[in-house]
Amino acid sequence: MFTLEVKKLSKVVAFVLLAASTTYAGDVKAPAFKDKAIDGGVVYKVKDGSYAGVYRVNTQVDKATVKFGRTPSAKEIKAGDIDVRYDWQGLPDGKGSVERGDELFEAQCAMCHGDMGTGGRGYPPLAGGDIDSLKNQLIHPENGDEPPMRAIGSYWPYASTLWWYVKTAMPFPHPMSLSDDDVYAIVAYLLSVNEVQIDGKDLDDDFVLDKKALMKVVMPNVNGFYPEVNGKDGAMNMKKFLSDSSNYGTPTKRCMKNCPTGKVVRVKNSLDSGIEPAVSQKRDLPKVEAKSGAANSKYADMFEQKCNACHGNKVIAPVPGDKEAWASRIKQGKEVLYEHAIKGFQGMPPKGGHADLSDAELKGLVDYMVDKSK
Amino acid sequence: MKNSNKNTTASRRGFLKNIAASVVAAGALAPATLRAGDDPILIEEPEWGKKLGLPVDKNLYGLPSPYEHTVTRRVHKLLSSGDMYASVAMCPIQDLEGIITPNGLFFSRSHGGVAQVDPNEYRLVIHGLVEKPLVLTLDELKKYPKESRIHFIECPANGSTGWRSPQFNTLQFMKGMMSSAEWTGTKLSNILKDVGIKPEAKWVLAEGNDNSHMGRTLPIEKILDDAMVVWAQNGEALRPEQGYPVRLLVPGWEGNLNVKWLKRLEFGDKPWHAKEETSKYTMLTPSGKAIRYFWPMEVNSVVTSPCPDKPWTELKAGDMVEIEGLAWSGHGTIKGVDISFDGGKNWTEASLKGLVLPKSWTRFSFMYKWDGKPILLSSRAYDDAGYVQPTIDQEVKSVGVETIYHRNAIVTWEIKANGEVHNVHIRS
Repeated sequence: MFTLEVKKLSKVVAFVLLAASTTYAGDVKAPAFKDKAIDGGVVYKVKDGSYAGVYRVNTQVDKATVKFGRTPSAKEIKAGDIDVRYDWQGLPDGKGSVERGDELFEAQCAMCHGDMGTGGRGYPPLAGGDIDSLKNQLIHPENGDEPPMRAIGSYWPYASTLWWYVKTAMPFPHPMSLSDDDVYAIVAYLLSVNEVQIDGKDLDDDFVLDKKALMKVVMPNVNGFYPEVNGKDGAMNMKKFLSDSSNYGTPTKRCMKNCPTGKVVRVKNSLDSGIEPAVSQKRDLPKVEAKSGAANSKYADMFEQKCNACHGNKVIAPVPGDKEAWASRIKQGKEVLYEHAIKGFQGMPPKGGHADLSDAELKGLVDYMVDKSK
Repeated sequence: MKNSNKNTTASRRGFLKNIAASVVAAGALAPATLRAGDDPILIEEPEWGKKLGLPVDKNLYGLPSPYEHTVTRRVHKLLSSGDMYASVAMCPIQDLEGIITPNGLFFSRSHGGVAQVDPNEYRLVIHGLVEKPLVLTLDELKKYPKESRIHFIECPANGSTGWRSPQFNTLQFMKGMMSSAEWTGTKLSNILKDVGIKPEAKWVLAEGNDNSHMGRTLPIEKILDDAMVVWAQNGEALRPEQGYPVRLLVPGWEGNLNVKWLKRLEFGDKPWHAKEETSKYTMLTPSGKAIRYFWPMEVNSVVTSPCPDKPWTELKAGDMVEIEGLAWSGHGTIKGVDISFDGGKNWTEASLKGLVLPKSWTRFSFMYKWDGKPILLSSRAYDDAGYVQPTIDQEVKSVGVETIYHRNAIVTWEIKANGEVHNVHIRS
């Protein structure tokens, strides 16, 4: 009986030993925290005239102070200082109503971002979802998993960023074209469709957003980010976080034998067919394509620069060469198309938003598009 | 996808002509000198050996051989925001050799098109919490003492289509949001000696002058460590896609932080929280909270030969072959690469080869006798900062599958008995 027990026990021990025989090559040597770079990595120094032991350097450079250029004027600095920091540094005065923002959005934004910023045309949605959705992990769509929604109201921590980005990067085809008042109006509209409140109240149509009101906005997801970078210890917080790689799943040991593995998961729905040009390893001569007359027009470049952002995407505007889309338009006659191009029509702002283009250039562009689409 | 470097090229190029020549030769000349199986390419002088080539004044800016026309950047509609302006063109890393990317193949990511900047109207303004604001023309900037460094630049979204499952079966689209070059410019610290940073300055806003006016916040520690303003890549002026005439270079950090078309550096006491460090380039974890300001590109590697684009379909069982790949780390220098043939259960050390530089692509190599049986081939890099490339399970357990950015889990190729190579995940 006793012997049998021991035999059993030794079998169990042997099994445990076998299962536990995962072996590691040991910790990979890391610098001490105080010697690490702010990103948790290595700081390389110049020693004996060599940087990191691999690049020779001219050490005279360190002793010299080189001075070129000049001091810019206050006016020059101010003209380029277009950012708005999260503490509102840089926010100019101005005002605009939700209603005015709605009009501007319909005219200049909705063609890409969808009605009320709901997206749907490949461009980012600007509204939708809530903070709770941020916990979603889309692992098993077949089981009904939903993705997290990262729109302005559900994700962005600061409204300052919204003002800054609309002012300096939108509308996409012609940024830096909106007045400060128009930016306030669009921001008011976007806050309203994202159901962001000011002083505990929804922003209704006649609400007028100004600097004072905007500076009161606390975005719903303001506390949704880490590490804390805003205080005086911000940079040190980053160093601590990045130096502890368990924060992001990076190990510090090399498993060498009997390491944990998993199942083999293969490509199910390949995206390869959407690649342009198709991936190929053939070493043959390229096919020569016939040049079309229209493509050589001097308006081809201008189209690329000024029109293609919208007219290159058929869900926004008719694409040159799409004969079906253009047939009914060509039928209206060129004078009508010239007028639409110059004065604006439906989603298209006057001159496509490019006030720098002459009427003659607009007509040339219309001719170019029509020629390509006949 | 057969590799056509061998006799297939010859047969396609001049099959009929060579047959005719062989018949004539066999009849008129000594038959023994031209047996069946002799390669006509070796027997006949090729056409390029019997006439003049192109004059040297043709293509004064040189072009690759027209036969290399399939080696290009490539795009995919799903990887853009609705158009080809806020989009990315992927680098064909499966076709690259060594650790330098030719300038025309360097991956191209922009947020509002590739700005076309007139170098005569280029100005760099440095202001904010500094003793003496400064404006430099391009010529003035280029008078600062120069340094050249080899560094990769990688978009933190590289490999992001693989968070949930493998979706591409081509290396170009799995890992092609990165490239590497020798960059030439001046260390920012050289310029800042004259400018003088005020003690309360802790952060810098770097801003580009493109359509998106790309703004990103950087900590002053990085600016003073190894950040550069650069105007050249691989010996020539920056390409427009890389920010001509001047970009910021922050070695090892997110591609997006290497601000292109650099116009302005503003020093401040707080970070800015720009759109690309709040709305994007933040890592949403299963807690519902997101990691922000994740600057470095972590240790990473991939086997480039074989890969789905460069399979072993021409190999026979028993052939000795080199397994080759790329390893890189934004945290430091690659110390070594381990390689596995059984899906990550057991690992053995590969060799590093060539230049092993900080924050640079590094080549690794392993000589392997393939027995013609299926294998699961993986690589795992580690660096001198102490970090080891994670398994898929290790990474996902920590940050989930919705971070979009900073995916550096181990890549595995399933090599089938016929030599085809497929992108697979090993995950629980």
